[in-house]
Amino acid sequence: MLAKFLKSSIGRKQIVAVSGLLLMLFLVFHLSVNLGIYLGPHTYNLLAHRLEQLGPVRVVAEAGLTGLFLIHIFFTFLVVKASRRARKIGYAVQSSSAQRSLSTRLMPLTGTVLLVFIISHLIDFKFIDVNNTLLAVVEEHNLGLYGIVVNSFRNPFTSTWYMIAMIAVGSHLSHAIDSVFQTFGLNDGDTHRGLHKSSVIIGTLIALLFGSIPLYVLLTHGSLLQQ
Amino acid sequence: MSRLDARVPEGPIESKWKNHQFNLKLVNPANKRKYTVIVVGTGLAGASAAATMSELGYNVISICMQDSPRRAHSIAAQGGINAAKNYPGDGDSVFRLFYDTIKGGDFRSRESNVYRLAEISNQIIDHCVAQGVPFAREYGGYLSNRSFGGAQVSRTFYAKGQTGQQLLLGAYGALMKEVESGNVTLLPRRELMELVLENGDAKGVIVRNLLTGDMERYGADAVVLATGGYSNAFYLSTNAIPSNVTATWRAHKKGAFFANPCYTQIHPTCLPVHGEFQSKLTLMSESLRNDGRVWVPKTAGDKRRPVDIPESERDYFLERKYPSFGNLVPRDLASRNAKTVVDEGRGAEGGEAVFLDFQDAIKRLGENTIFQRYGNLFEMYNRITGDDPFKTPMKIYPAPHYTMGGLWVDYNLMSTIPGLFVAGEANFSDHGANRLGASALMQGLADGYFILPRTIAHYLAEKGPQKVDTTSGVFMEAEQAASDKIEKLLNINGTRTVDSFHRELGRLMWDKCGMSRSEAGLKEALLKIAEIRDAFWSDCKVAGVENDLNQVLEKAGRVADYLEFAELMVTDALNRGESCGGHFREESQTEEGEALRNDDEFSYVAAWEFTGVGKAPVLHQEALSFSAVHLAQRSYK
Amino acid sequence: MDKTISLTLKVWRQKNAEDPGKFELYPVKDISIDASFLEMLDVLNEQLVLEGQVPIAFDHDCREGICGTCGAVVNGRPHGRLSKTTLCQLHMRHYSDGDTIVIEPFRAKAFPVVKDLVVDRSSFDRIVRKGGYVSVRTGQAPDAHATAVSKPDADLSMDAAQCIGCAACVAACPNASAMLFVGAKVSQYALLPQGQVERKIRAQAMVSQMDAEGFGACSNEYECEAACPKGISVSNIARLNREFLRSSI
Repeated sequence: MLAKFLKSSIGRKQIVAVSGLLLMLFLVFHLSVNLGIYLGPHTYNLLAHRLEQLGPVRVVAEAGLTGLFLIHIFFTFLVVKASRRARKIGYAVQSSSAQRSLSTRLMPLTGTVLLVFIISHLIDFKFIDVNNTLLAVVEEHNLGLYGIVVNSFRNPFTSTWYMIAMIAVGSHLSHAIDSVFQTFGLNDGDTHRGLHKSSVIIGTLIALLFGSIPLYVLLTHGSLLQQ
Repeated sequence: MSRLDARVPEGPIESKWKNHQFNLKLVNPANKRKYTVIVVGTGLAGASAAATMSELGYNVISICMQDSPRRAHSIAAQGGINAAKNYPGDGDSVFRLFYDTIKGGDFRSRESNVYRLAEISNQIIDHCVAQGVPFAREYGGYLSNRSFGGAQVSRTFYAKGQTGQQLLLGAYGALMKEVESGNVTLLPRRELMELVLENGDAKGVIVRNLLTGDMERYGADAVVLATGGYSNAFYLSTNAIPSNVTATWRAHKKGAFFANPCYTQIHPTCLPVHGEFQSKLTLMSESLRNDGRVWVPKTAGDKRRPVDIPESERDYFLERKYPSFGNLVPRDLASRNAKTVVDEGRGAEGGEAVFLDFQDAIKRLGENTIFQRYGNLFEMYNRITGDDPFKTPMKIYPAPHYTMGGLWVDYNLMSTIPGLFVAGEANFSDHGANRLGASALMQGLADGYFILPRTIAHYLAEKGPQKVDTTSGVFMEAEQAASDKIEKLLNINGTRTVDSFHRELGRLMWDKCGMSRSEAGLKEALLKIAEIRDAFWSDCKVAGVENDLNQVLEKAGRVADYLEFAELMVTDALNRGESCGGHFREESQTEEGEALRNDDEFSYVAAWEFTGVGKAPVLHQEALSFSAVHLAQRSYK
Repeated sequence: MDKTISLTLKVWRQKNAEDPGKFELYPVKDISIDASFLEMLDVLNEQLVLEGQVPIAFDHDCREGICGTCGAVVNGRPHGRLSKTTLCQLHMRHYSDGDTIVIEPFRAKAFPVVKDLVVDRSSFDRIVRKGGYVSVRTGQAPDAHATAVSKPDADLSMDAAQCIGCAACVAACPNASAMLFVGAKVSQYALLPQGQVERKIRAQAMVSQMDAEGFGACSNEYECEAACPKGISVSNIARLNREFLRSSI
């Protein structure tokens, strides 16, 4: 039964939806930690430290998260591959109806942007030495992770790339939240319009909150290029 | 005469079908798989017959010309299906449905068949509900009924304005279930070319594969034709474009008698013709006449727009002539009166149309109520014509719709060719000279689900299983004949298109053998049909090749048959010197211009025997006798 | 008297399934704006026949928007731009003099082109074979009033059952998915008491056949609903998703 489910187009789609939903929950958690930056260097570094101290729980969580990412990407790949095969010869004239929202149309693009971003993001913030003083120094103070974040975002290229990625997150979620309901059959027609609106609002909110951080850094600490 | 044995069972009318079923022979369940039945057509009658016979265990070959059985033209029926359930408790009964149907048919149908139809009507509803047909329901959860076509009881079951579609999808589902079971071989995109007889019995068919052009031979123990009606003889009709007389006509040429071809129904509420290029006429539900008022200008030649014509210069002619029924008179009366005023030069905006006006109803009931009742019809009208019926009256005109005539069948629905059964609109049996609204669906499904499977068993049991060799002489000859005909069409290579001939024939039939027919006109038509036919065979241009999907060639074959069939239709109309139902002879009318039936001379079914193209057919009469009802002249004053 | 327009048609011509096919240009003159799109093609075809050319093959039957036979992609949209309208019900008054109209067949791996604009949609029939019905034999039914059905359910079932099987949903879908077609059929029966016994087996069997035919997956683009001449709602796809999940656990 499970094998049949995993082989079916609907089953695969539902796997993508459920893994996406869990990833979004992680994202909300991630966001709540990130927003700690507004509480100042001390609190922010403390939060980071607490997470470091979770030990095995953290390892399991990280493994789970990696698994979710891989599942989400792998099943998306399967679904997309089947769909590409379903129409080998395209139309000479391309035309979409108003039904199809911009975020829906951009899913392949935003998905790809996010994949690249996540890899670069891990390289930037995850696989680095927090105690590397050179990185963590902000204006002559050694400020740990907080310092690393501030230093990165003072680079306008990093900030811009980050904000582009957050627009992609917002767009991706605008389609995704709504889609989860549809894919699990919780859309009964009347709720459709409301669902799509809420989906766009939540997606935009998450994107704005994430995106506010580099802006805040640039406004409070100034751009590195200006100095 | 000797060949027309209707095989009506003995006994009182209420027990004929019951007794008959007991007397019919049965096929042992284990032996059913030894028999094969070919069913041509997958409309209500064909799909339901094929599905049911497969359920019983016979091998069935189901043939249709569309790409899928679901597209047969039964799908377009809008209004509903009658049954004598008496759920609303308004006094309906099997006998009342039977009586109304006989009366509606102007006493020109076979009493025993009609009674059986009314009897079976209730089983049809039960079966279709069980199939998951989403009929309209009331808030209590029970089925909703409405009164239809002026009936005095509410006995019509419906599914929005798409009852035919829903019933057909039910029958199609049943058919696909049987395809999956392996008992039914489905052959779409095939058109019947020849019926094959062996020692006088129907034993198979030659069909043309419409995708490849190949001729294919199929053999069976019995053949069912459920191939619909012949309204496209008029070129413009409410029928689907490919609807044709080819299957029944080619069976007729092999010996099946054609009954009452002049009985054609002209539906009053259709969109008018608006140009030479027009390919079909669209029917608008008759329910529009419940609230719309039909009128034309009082003076001939008045071409003003309806808004510019003051109330005092309008003639609400149906209300004027039929004060008690008004705009709700039966289809034939509404149609004929529209023609009369148009012939007087009083058509809407000077054309072939009358106004159907909702202004009074909108004033009385409000735009909202009217929208709820007719919103989808108004939208449809607006989509096709570009006019908004809320602002300006609709323009409507009658159009050929249903044909009551068809191949003659006995009580078992078997034609004069043993082993050839005919069902649905393709046979002549139940509607007499005029069909009541919501009765066509009932008849198609009664024939297919409940009658044919029983009566074919009897025929098969009598014959015993036969080995049919589709490479035998008769099959090869029939195939050759079919191929020859195709080749002949392709070789004409003239200068006119197939459609131009079809249009010419249609116009002639509409003028001379349409809503009103006269001896002189019919005689003139006979001469002209032969001329058009000769011109067709010498000057028609059929493009393309035989072994390909060739839609022009398909059309040419159908038009060629209409050009032969039209002569029979006119001959029958000429022979029937009375007016009855949809057949109006100008020579036979009352002083007020109403149809005048002549029971002394014409109370019979006219069944015609083919003698050759262009040769006078031989008339056989099946006398109609009525024991359960009294003959009465219809009056809707 | 009638207003007429002249157009340039760019039509996909393909001799048969093996032929690679190509676009051909055809000028059409003096087309009445009251003509339907198919009648406009009729006029062109008559002209082609008289010129000794092979007319354009296109499927059509009832020409009143209910049989689901006709359909082509017109300027990138199945059945043209007008909403809730089949190609046969689309009239030329929606075009302007001098327009160029591009006409292509429905494109999907599961609908191979037969000739020109004619495609083979028998994959839909094969999906229905697997369960698009209630397995009741003639004569088995109880009285029609044996089971009451709530009106809202009956109405929703009817809304789903209106599908004409034209396949515009597949043609419009960026993934050539048949979810709206299958969703409508599964919904029709899932909403009625008559459909309950086979509810699970139907969802499984029809989805599995749908996948086997090579239709793509649904990615909630809702182009299908926009193209559907009967306005069938994507909530039927949601219901199919639910029915499928339900039948899988």
